[in-house]
Amino acid sequence: VTRGPFWKRLALAVAMVSTAGCQGGALRNESKAEATSVRGSVVRIGFVAPLSGPFASAGEDMRRGFHLYLDRHEGRLGGRQVNVIEVDEGAGPETGVPAIRRLLSRDRVVAAAGIVNSAVALGAHQSFIDARVPLIIATAGANALTGPKGSEFIWRTSFSNADFNLAFGRWLARQPPVRGGVFLLAPEYVAGHEQLEGFKAAFTAGGGKIAGEQYSPFGTTQDFQPYLTQVRASGAGAVYAFYGGQDAIGFVRQYKEFGLTGRIPLYGPGFLTEGPTLIAQGAAGDGIMTAHNYSPDLDTPVNRDFVEAYEAVYKAPPTGFAVQAYDAGAVLDAALDRIDGAVSGSGLAAALPKIGEIDSPRGTWRFTGRRNPDQHVYLRQVRREGDGYINAVLDDLGPVEREATP
Amino acid sequence: MIGWLSDNLVSILNGVALGCLLFALAVGLSLVFGILDVLNLAHGSLFVAGAYAAWRLADDGTIGGFLLAVVVAAGIGGAGGLALTVATRPLAGRGHLDQALLTLGIALVVTELVQTWFGRDPHGVLPPLSGSLDIGGGYPIYRLALIGIGVAVAFAVDCTVERTKVGALVRATVCDPDMVAALGVNTRLVRTGAFTIGGALAAVAGVLGAPLLGANPHLDTQVLLLALVVVVIGGLGSVRGALLGALLIGQVQSLGIALAPRQAPFLLFGVMALVLVVRPAGLLGSRAVAA
Repeated sequence: VTRGPFWKRLALAVAMVSTAGCQGGALRNESKAEATSVRGSVVRIGFVAPLSGPFASAGEDMRRGFHLYLDRHEGRLGGRQVNVIEVDEGAGPETGVPAIRRLLSRDRVVAAAGIVNSAVALGAHQSFIDARVPLIIATAGANALTGPKGSEFIWRTSFSNADFNLAFGRWLARQPPVRGGVFLLAPEYVAGHEQLEGFKAAFTAGGGKIAGEQYSPFGTTQDFQPYLTQVRASGAGAVYAFYGGQDAIGFVRQYKEFGLTGRIPLYGPGFLTEGPTLIAQGAAGDGIMTAHNYSPDLDTPVNRDFVEAYEAVYKAPPTGFAVQAYDAGAVLDAALDRIDGAVSGSGLAAALPKIGEIDSPRGTWRFTGRRNPDQHVYLRQVRREGDGYINAVLDDLGPVEREATP
Repeated sequence: MIGWLSDNLVSILNGVALGCLLFALAVGLSLVFGILDVLNLAHGSLFVAGAYAAWRLADDGTIGGFLLAVVVAAGIGGAGGLALTVATRPLAGRGHLDQALLTLGIALVVTELVQTWFGRDPHGVLPPLSGSLDIGGGYPIYRLALIGIGVAVAFAVDCTVERTKVGALVRATVCDPDMVAALGVNTRLVRTGAFTIGGALAAVAGVLGAPLLGANPHLDTQVLLLALVVVVIGGLGSVRGALLGALLIGQVQSLGIALAPRQAPFLLFGVMALVLVVRPAGLLGSRAVAA
């Protein structure tokens, strides 16, 4: 390979990227003149979810949930016709953040919902604040997004990373002591640490003992043998693991293959046994106990109705991801309903604190002062039912006292 | 020493099993690079094709289904290799950057097609041999079988390349294609054959790896990364180098993580950097990485 053309091409690429950067800046200034929409006219709502990358499966469920809400309400939110503009979040901030900037500057939406990856949400949240457009996060769990420094434009229908783990840790600490302590496992990235910190804080505060803690490289770990061998060597009496998607399938199957299933109980936040993951784990998942904000097994009229409608369209049971996006639709519906006349981002932000309770398939919930859901966390266990496995609801662990979490 | 060995027996054994899988994955990439001088970034897509064949045909956990998946995957992989030969031929002599762009583009298209046909959900595949042996508290039988299969594949490929007439032609084409052509050998046939077999091996590796790695649309980038590391460490175009590199990376990913879990994210590339500093052409390679 001769060097000349390559360096020339590289220089050209650098030039193109820097020009694109300038352009972005110009568009962002422009968007400070707020986008508005009059009643009777069409409201433009953005929806951000990954179509590709490791979180594509969660993104698919979120799209399904959001669209199901719209379809069940004649495509209208707060009495207004809605034009949903969907963008691909991609695998991370390098694709997600530019897509969101386009949504704000070119498509001029009055509100947006979605986002799986916390890094995308953290990278884009200032753009929403600058553009005065409310963002309803439907998955991304980074604690800081609804922390003490939150903004009136950033809301969340899903969870803070610590939430489910606090509930599980508190519950486990009240059970007979785990002989040998609990071994903690998660992928090495921000969410992995925040999830385990939640469990650790509540479990040790209740007198529980931690046997060990390991973080596996994120996105490149397919073989969990080294970690499972360490669990065995530590003499731990239980394992608490935060894994999702393909990681959760590999982890749970290998947990059985290496002979830990049946000897060392496996616990974790609900992502460990959620949706397609549960189906792919098959018999290896049997008995795993998790804490989550939803299970299709919840026996309430609202949920039975929701599950029936969801399965009729998508031929698969709904997941927490789907419900969180469904509720983002409900939140926007309630907020738009409180606005007379033209809809603006700041008008919506002013209406959001007043919407009160959301009657969701996961049970009723409302926003806390920090704009995170004040919701119930359920204790679930994987059980065989018919041909497959379900997350049977064992107990209601009650609401998480949100403001106490970091 | 004995105590240390028995403590880490499972990790060492598992490293060998992973190494055997990595060899089946990487040897095709290495051969194609050595013989055709094509940097095939769509190699991972062929692996993914094998993984999905395993999911569709072998998830009942029977040996019959698994063998069927191997045969189907070999066919798909071979056809894929053939198609890639045709696609990359016009780029001959235009350098690795153009080849990398083309094959990366093909890989992206394949990922999108897989998502369209099979959906975005990840899937698991049951191993054809279930159960585990009582080594260090339990070791899956299928992983032991992988060691046997890996050794057999390595032996077959090595014998073919080193001891048969076809192998001699292949080696000669690697060294000096113009001279081989001048001797009246159809080098185009040699190249096409190498790409076809390399593709078939990658897809079969996808079936073999499915009980460990499952099937999802984004598996291609994960395994391509590992295959590139193995090939670079072993030396481009060398079969024995690929075997050595695969076994080394297998141990790094298993014993290495067990001994130094906190350094796990850096181990893989740390070892690669170390090998490249000491031997820039890879462990058994004869030429430096040029790109």
